[in-house]
Amino acid sequence: MSIKKNFPIRLAAGLLLAILIDTALQLVWKSAVLSLPNDGSPWLNVQAVLHSPLFLFVIFLMACQFFNWLMVLSNADLSYAQPVTSLSYVSVFCLSVLYLKEATDLIQIAGIALVLAGIWFISQTQHVTQSREREK
Amino acid sequence: MIGQTAIGVLLVVICALLEGVGQVFLKKSVLGAVRWYLWISFGVAILLLETMIYSEALLFLDVGAAYAISSLNLISVTFMSRYLLREKVTRIRWIGVCLIFVGVSLVAARA
Repeated sequence: MSIKKNFPIRLAAGLLLAILIDTALQLVWKSAVLSLPNDGSPWLNVQAVLHSPLFLFVIFLMACQFFNWLMVLSNADLSYAQPVTSLSYVSVFCLSVLYLKEATDLIQIAGIALVLAGIWFISQTQHVTQSREREK
Repeated sequence: MIGQTAIGVLLVVICALLEGVGQVFLKKSVLGAVRWYLWISFGVAILLLETMIYSEALLFLDVGAAYAISSLNLISVTFMSRYLLREKVTRIRWIGVCLIFVGVSLVAARA
């Protein structure tokens, strides 16, 4: 196991952005859903979604996430990039506890520790498969 | 009740498989494929279908349970990357993926 050299800055920035956008997306989406009128009418809910700045922001974040993800995939293996973005589970968990005051327990904290350990293992592997290795 | 739960679990498992296929299509689009726009279009279509099926699954399962089972996405994506994209998935990477899978399941199941 050795830490890789030549890790592209563009990939690091793309992965960081993917995690940040995913974190923001989860939190804004939840706030947007909570802001919907609770009258049970699907049509009024659709109208509320179309006029809600929060939902428009959710769509904007999804579009940003998509284009950033394509950039990440052009610089790294899918089997490398996808697990690394699981770091957003950690950031969403921390922000939910700190800002939304959601309850937590030891099982969840153990889960977060396992996610962090898993990401560390993945970070020890090569981020991209060379084409000659791909042909094997 | 058990039948409804089984349907929900089945739908989420189907979503995990669709996630793997959709992500493979997106990756194909950036690998210099000739008709890259077709790979992107099919990839997006599959991921949209996955979203619709996942919404349906939420009618049968609690959000926490659905979220926990959907961490199977990680296994599905890694497996398909290995066998469809021929990526080099080492033992270390598999250990990492399995740790994240268990960790996410624990966090999500208690949510």
